[in-house]
Amino acid sequence: MTTTNWIKLEIPSDTRNVAFARTAVALFASQLDWTLDELEDIKVAVSEAVSNSVIHGYALQEGNVFMEVSYHGPELRIMVEDFGKGIEDLEAAQEVGFTSIPEERMGLGFTFMHEYMDEVMVSSELGKGTKVTMIKRVKEQES
Amino acid sequence: MQYTFELKGQALIVTLRGELDLHTSPEFKEKLSRLFAANLDITNLIMDVKGLSFIDSSGLGVILGRYRELEERGGRLFFVQANPQIMRILQMSGFQKISEFASSTSDVFERI
Repeated sequence: MTTTNWIKLEIPSDTRNVAFARTAVALFASQLDWTLDELEDIKVAVSEAVSNSVIHGYALQEGNVFMEVSYHGPELRIMVEDFGKGIEDLEAAQEVGFTSIPEERMGLGFTFMHEYMDEVMVSSELGKGTKVTMIKRVKEQES
Repeated sequence: MQYTFELKGQALIVTLRGELDLHTSPEFKEKLSRLFAANLDITNLIMDVKGLSFIDSSGLGVILGRYRELEERGGRLFFVQANPQIMRILQMSGFQKISEFASSTSDVFERI
């Protein structure tokens, strides 16, 4: 069996689709040999990335969120991209507790992504959008 | 997402079932806030999360908001029967510093 596979998703920026996105990605990712905890980690990271696109990128307005998910061997790569407002200060945005909507936002979205995934790369341009790429590798099982 | 509220003395017991995220948290927040505003004597918030299968920062933000109100009232926040995944995200987000974990609601009532 090939050790490579991929999916692409395009979803409207709608809060209802956050659950769909994380469930679809987890279902695809389950083709690899994760523990249940690791699959939960992936769901949280995807939920945060897509929520950011919906609430910050498009500010709950119309727009589409694009996702590409693939694996090559044990490495899962998840890309979440929006063409919304973009992030003014990428470094500050990834600090623990940073939020541009202080009322009841914890500012932990990027923290969870960094914590639950092995690598997180973010690129953004004001007025053009934001792309988050996250990588997680299957750990070798101890025999 | 399903939730129930039960007022018991100065405690509000909230039982959560399902997934609390960006989509489900606004309605939950509104109902919980309304209960807090209408019952100024609530000083203990007991979150029964046994049936909670998923939470992210959107859901945690709602609970944090109510904690801030509780803090002003000198109250306490409890989580009951958190599964390992929920416990992990609660700990990672610092809730272990501002809340207490319990195995049952009766366990909480023995402490308050």
